[in-house]
Amino acid sequence: MIASGVLLYFTIKRVIYRQIDNSLITEKTIIQDQIEQSDSIPDFEATFGHQIEVKLLDHTVHNFQSIKDTDIYDFRLNSFLPYRCIFCSGNTGQSKGYLITIFQILSEKEELLKDVSLYMFFLFLLLLLISILINYLIAWRLWRPFYYSVNKASNFNIQSDEPLDLPHTDINEFSRLNTVFSRMTRKMRNDYLNLKEFNENAAHEIQTPLAVIRSKTDLLMQNKNLKKESIDLIKSINDATTKLFRLNQGLLLISKIENQYFDEKGRVSLKQIIENCLDNYKEIMQLKNISTKMEASDDAIIEINEGLADILISNLISNAVRYNIDGGFIKCHVDDICIIFTNSGLPLLTDPEKLFMRFQKGNDNPQSVGLGLSIVKKIVDTYGMKITYSSHDNIHEIKLIYSQNANSKGHSMTIS
Amino acid sequence: MKLLIVEDDGALRRSINDYLKMEGHICETAQTLRQAIYKVADNKYDCIILDIGLPDGNGIDIIREMKSNKLTGGILILSARSSLDDKLTGLNTGADDYLTKPFHFAELSARINSIYRRNNLSGMNEIKFNEIRINTTDNLAYVNDNLLNLTKKEYDLLLFFMTNKDRIITKESIVEHLWGDEVTLTDSFDFVYTHVKNLRKKILASGSGNYIKCIYGFGYKFKDD
Repeated sequence: MIASGVLLYFTIKRVIYRQIDNSLITEKTIIQDQIEQSDSIPDFEATFGHQIEVKLLDHTVHNFQSIKDTDIYDFRLNSFLPYRCIFCSGNTGQSKGYLITIFQILSEKEELLKDVSLYMFFLFLLLLLISILINYLIAWRLWRPFYYSVNKASNFNIQSDEPLDLPHTDINEFSRLNTVFSRMTRKMRNDYLNLKEFNENAAHEIQTPLAVIRSKTDLLMQNKNLKKESIDLIKSINDATTKLFRLNQGLLLISKIENQYFDEKGRVSLKQIIENCLDNYKEIMQLKNISTKMEASDDAIIEINEGLADILISNLISNAVRYNIDGGFIKCHVDDICIIFTNSGLPLLTDPEKLFMRFQKGNDNPQSVGLGLSIVKKIVDTYGMKITYSSHDNIHEIKLIYSQNANSKGHSMTIS
Repeated sequence: MKLLIVEDDGALRRSINDYLKMEGHICETAQTLRQAIYKVADNKYDCIILDIGLPDGNGIDIIREMKSNKLTGGILILSARSSLDDKLTGLNTGADDYLTKPFHFAELSARINSIYRRNNLSGMNEIKFNEIRINTTDNLAYVNDNLLNLTKKEYDLLLFFMTNKDRIITKESIVEHLWGDEVTLTDSFDFVYTHVKNLRKKILASGSGNYIKCIYGFGYKFKDD
C-alpha cells in the first residue's frame, strides 16, 4: 500500500515534469525557430505563462541544451520559489550565437501534486481500513467455529459427565477437525470410564476372594488337631492375605481420591480430629513412653471430606508414632494456616524427595505396604494444600499448609 | 440367634454359615436378592448379614423393603468397599453396621453380638463368663461384682474376647478391632501383647481365673480350662 502510494507520487511527479518539460521544449523550439528565421529576438506574446530570457551573442556558441530545477528569489514574496528551467544555446545562420532560458514556475504544479497526493493518501487509508475490516470480518466468520472448538476442548474435563460436544460447521477443514476431536475425546472418555470401572470392579472382585481366603484360614485355625507345620503354613497364608488386603485397600483409596470420589465437603475442626486421633494412639504412645504436646487454636477449621480428614491426620500421627524412638516426643502445632507435626526419631533412610511416593518404606518392615504418605500426598494435592518435610538432628518435621490464603496472610504478617 | 446370610459367593457363604453355626446360631442363607426378600418376608431374623453386591440387584433394596414393611431385625452390611464409602452410602438407608471384606470371623461375631445387644436392650446388656461380667450399657466390667479398672482399649479387648470365647483370635484381628483397619502399625503385635498382658494381670489381680490362653502361631483363645 505504502509502496504503491510512493510509486504513485513519483509517477504523478514524473508526468507533471514531463508535461512541463514538453511545454518548455515546445516553447524553446518555437523561439529557436523564430530566432533562426529572423535573426532577432522575437516578441513573446504567446508565452504560455513562461518567463523567457533570450540573448543574442556576436559570436558562435556550442549547441547545448539542459533542463533542470532551480530556485529563484522572488522580491515580492520575499522567498525562493521553485522553477523548472530550460537552458539552450545555438547559432543562427549569420554565425551569431543565442542563449535561451525559459522558466516555468513549479509552485502551482507542486500544489497540484500535493493535493493529489493528499487525496490519494486518504483514499488509500480508507481502502486500508475497509480491507482490514473486511479481513477481520471474514476471519471472524471463518475462524469462529475453530475458536469455539478450541475453547470447548480446553474446558474439557475427562472426569466430568459431559462428553465433548462440538457443533457442525460448514467449513470442511474445521468440520474434519471437530470430527477428529470428538472421536478422540470420546475414546479417551470411554477408556477412562472403562479404567475407572475396572478399578472399582477389580477392587470388589478381589475383596470377595480375599474374604474367602481369610474366612477359610479362620476356620482352619479353629481346628483343634493342628500340627506345628500346618500352623506355620496357615500363619503365613494369613499374613500374606492381610498384606494383600491392606495393599488393595490403599491403592483403591488413592484411585478414589484421584477420581474425586469423595467430593462431599464439610467444615472440620482440626483440633478435634487431632485430639481424637491422639487418643486412639494413647496406649501405644504410653507403651513407647512417647510424650505428646499439643497447641491448637479452637477455630482452626478446614473444609474437607470428613473421612479423608481422618485418614490424613491419622496417617501422619501413626507415622510419627511408628518411626519414633522409646522415650521420644510428638509435638503438634495448629494455627489457622498450617499444622506442624514434630517428632523425634531415627535418621531417615530414604530420600526425603521420595518420601511421599508410593511403596516407599521407612524401614524394612514386612507389615508396612508403604502407601501411608502417598495417600496423604494425594489428599493434600486434591484439596490444593501443601506438605513439606524437613529434619534436623533426628527431629522430623511435617508441615501441612492447609489454608488457601496462606501466602497473603504470611505476607501481611511480616508487614505488620 | 437366628441369622440370615445373604451372600452370592458360594465359598464365602458356606464359610460364614459354618462359622456362625459353630458359634451356636441358627443360620439360613440366600444367594440372590429375590431369595433374600422372600425369606425376610416369611421369617423373623435377629440379624441379617448382607452383601450389597448381589447378582440381581443391590442389597440395599432389602433394607428399604424391610423398613417399608416395618420388619424388625438388625442388619450388618458386608461390603467389598471400604468403610469410608459406606459412610457415604450404605448406612444412611438404615443398616446397623458395616464390615469391610475381607473380615475376621472374630470381628463378624463381635459385630453381630453388638447389633443384637443394641436391638434387644431388655436384660441383654450383660455378658457373663464365670465370675466375669460385662455391662455393655455402661461399658463396665466386673469380677465377682468388683469393678475392674480398665482402660477403654482393655475393655474393648475383654469384650472382644468374651464375645468370641473358645475361638482362636489372631493378633491381626485384635489390631483391626482396636485400631481400625485403616491403620497400619508396624509394631502393633507388641502392643497387642502388652495390652493382653495388662488385661490378664488386672483380671488375675481381682481374683479371677486365667482364661486368656496363648495359642502358638496364631494368637489367643479365651476359654475355661
